[in-house]
Amino acid sequence: MVYLPPPNLQTPSRPGYEHAYNEIVAVHRRSPLSSASSLIMLVAPDVDALCASRMLADLFKQDDIMHRVIPVSGMNELEQTRDELVSNAELHTLILINMGSILDLPSSEWFGDFPDHLRVHIIDSNRPQNLSSLFGPDEKIVVWDDGGAEKLDEQRKAWEKLAYAPPEDEDEDSEDDSEDDLDEDEDEELEGSSSSGKRRRSSPGSGRKRRKVDDNPNRITRDERDECAAVIEKYYMAGTYYGHASSCVVYLLVNELSRTDNDMLWYAILGLTYQYATARISRDLYDRWYAIYENEVRRLNKDVLIDVGPGLGSRNANSASNNSARSADDHSIRVVEELRFTLWRHWNLYDAMMHSGYVASKLGIWRERGKKRLHGLLAKMGFSTNQSQQTYSHMDMSLKKDLHAKLESITPEYGMVELSYSSFTRCCGYRSSPLSAADSVEAVSALLDAAGGIRIEIEIEGARNGGEWFGGGKVWQLYGQNNRWKDEERENVPPGGQADPKKAGAREEEGEGEDADKKTVQWWMRNFWSAYDALNNIQQLRDALRLSMSLHRAVIRQGTTVIDKHAIRTMRGHRVVVISQGPDLALFCHPGALARLAHWLVNAMRERIKGTNVSAHSKKKSLPFVVACLNERDGTYLVVGVNAALEFGDVRKNEFGLAFLDAKERCNARTRHGTFDTNVLEIKQEDLDLFLQTLCEGVRR
Amino acid sequence: MAFPQSMRSSTTPQELEFIASEELVEIRPTVKMDQIRFISGIYGPFTGGRLVKVPLWMAVNLKLKKKCNVVPPVWLNLEYLQDKLSEETSRPVFSDLPFRYAEISKVLLDIASDDLDQPDKLRSVLKDLREARQAKTREGLRAIDQNALSLPNLSAMEINEARPFFVGAMGILSQLTATTDATTI
Repeated sequence: MVYLPPPNLQTPSRPGYEHAYNEIVAVHRRSPLSSASSLIMLVAPDVDALCASRMLADLFKQDDIMHRVIPVSGMNELEQTRDELVSNAELHTLILINMGSILDLPSSEWFGDFPDHLRVHIIDSNRPQNLSSLFGPDEKIVVWDDGGAEKLDEQRKAWEKLAYAPPEDEDEDSEDDSEDDLDEDEDEELEGSSSSGKRRRSSPGSGRKRRKVDDNPNRITRDERDECAAVIEKYYMAGTYYGHASSCVVYLLVNELSRTDNDMLWYAILGLTYQYATARISRDLYDRWYAIYENEVRRLNKDVLIDVGPGLGSRNANSASNNSARSADDHSIRVVEELRFTLWRHWNLYDAMMHSGYVASKLGIWRERGKKRLHGLLAKMGFSTNQSQQTYSHMDMSLKKDLHAKLESITPEYGMVELSYSSFTRCCGYRSSPLSAADSVEAVSALLDAAGGIRIEIEIEGARNGGEWFGGGKVWQLYGQNNRWKDEERENVPPGGQADPKKAGAREEEGEGEDADKKTVQWWMRNFWSAYDALNNIQQLRDALRLSMSLHRAVIRQGTTVIDKHAIRTMRGHRVVVISQGPDLALFCHPGALARLAHWLVNAMRERIKGTNVSAHSKKKSLPFVVACLNERDGTYLVVGVNAALEFGDVRKNEFGLAFLDAKERCNARTRHGTFDTNVLEIKQEDLDLFLQTLCEGVRR
Repeated sequence: MAFPQSMRSSTTPQELEFIASEELVEIRPTVKMDQIRFISGIYGPFTGGRLVKVPLWMAVNLKLKKKCNVVPPVWLNLEYLQDKLSEETSRPVFSDLPFRYAEISKVLLDIASDDLDQPDKLRSVLKDLREARQAKTREGLRAIDQNALSLPNLSAMEINEARPFFVGAMGILSQLTATTDATTI
């Protein structure tokens, strides 16, 4: 119930993050039963949650507090974990990161029945938040707010009025009840989504007899009740969007405790960059947080920035001081201008520009004509074809220095503005060249999406142009996982290749019938832990960059095929793509990869399609996109819905969560939500067409 | 024996590091703590800013939790070590360095490099010292005979390095001289 104000809004009577943290520590130290399971963190599998949990884990380690981190991939998992935790007597603090804010936590379905000494802390960037978690009287639930809840005054008043109002008269009560019951039966598998929130907040006292009208001072009229209900409904139905990143919130805590240092700051930067790179926050919000972090960087890295010329050297992306560590112990963070080409420092310039969605859309790269335009652009900037196909690290120094300036002067001709944004890079001593925040985010999210369980080819550096003897690629294997494949054929390994994991894979397939479920659970857990480890380990991050590049290539391949074949259907303003064949089908059965494809397509098509107004509540135009991919093994389709803004760098609320639910109810499709994102769902093969039609029709209310 | 084959010849460097962690170093704590009583001794009280002598293992633990700053020992600074290096290269005997200088300096450079002055130069001077002394050890081992070999000022790590060869060679030499003694008698 309690929501904690951020440090700039806290007062002695309204304690904030620091107080909550100190309480957690005190409770842990006081209780004699403290063990590792008395403080549990449930973490959602995305980069922001990973960084936030890492920061909290480091804080706890420094304070000698035992804790456990449990990754949770979706609503089902969360329910299971909750059921296990009910029986845990030692549990006194539970921290949910990037999950649960939409759930009605004080209800008995979730944490209402837990013992009173339990505290559930929620640090979540998903919005909208459930109003009874925020404003309800239950002391157990503590929401770490970023200042957004202050603005929800209207909603708070409406919720309080409804919550504390006496019940309506009996006839209407029974009507409400029967409707509620029907809804509940249909939605067994679903997350406690906004529809359940809607149900719960309406007349909690339903079922009781009607009392005399004059007795109760909180009585409200029918009209007021409807008004309040409308306000609350508008809040929930507006669609999903994101507040400040959880790692930014945790960094505020760390700041309050005066325990900031470069590691913590770097995690916070990664969380922020992740949100911006995946179009969850707008450029404005990013710039605001960027300014804060730049101050922090200057404060914590004073000695580094002194000997660079005032203002001049540190901002140039290619200046020597930013490209090398000053000493073996140098772990400092530097400020740098980042370009929008994905991973441009790690493969050649031509590839980087080809694979970035922004450039793709402006130049139309999937067509021959577009490729020629790209060549033309590079030529105008003075890069020969040879040079631009060289890995970045092997490019001429002079070209690197002028890259930035030239891009700024030439690209406006092609309509590409805002190619760069300010960001950070981190040195890691002499172990490797500095890695930028955007690249780290790419690497970590590639690990989260695909570290284990997917066969994907990655390119060995230098394999182009006949550099490598045994072919240009090798199969991605997780670092350190080689010894897991015990039954490999070690005798027949060619000198340059990897031992064949297919045999081991085949043997695993046999035993797979029974533990197919166990296997699907384990792949994302393995991903989670390898990403968790890689946050600190530069070697693993660098390896993961190669994986990320392969993922991008797969996305491009699929995306260009889709566009070439004109496979994008338009249904009443929605763009729908169904992928049922192709070399990368297995890859796109994972929600992370499919979401990447959806975003790429949106970026690519942004120029070519008009925006439509699909929202019932706002007048803003947006580009709704639905991508579905066939999962041959399970016979289902994985569907992702994206609601993109018309301009690059802007965001729109994503209404697909609700739209999916509506459509599902109306056409009785068999669906399942596997992750915390309400805009991703799995649906049985046969129901797909009908579902898509109902989805697109149903939006105009 | 219970040891694996690789550990039977002499102690490993990690074990030496562990043993060296008993040495006392000075720290400047950043948090307040009362006196602490351990089996090895009583340390503290820790009040902000004042120097306290604690064992190295405790200093490392506190430093990793960001609760103290380590004050480098007297010998761990650039000028002192450079003097020792020039001494080392000019004279045939070993210069006088603390017995466990290798282990202590490694631990401090790994964990507390921000508390040391010019850590990368320190690393290179330490490396040079090691190589100079290693050359002298090799020379010295040529003079081995079955009775005694005197190598003053050798550090713990270097002794450990030479031990397997040294012990084996001494053994064989004493066998050889025993038989020659036997034949002459």
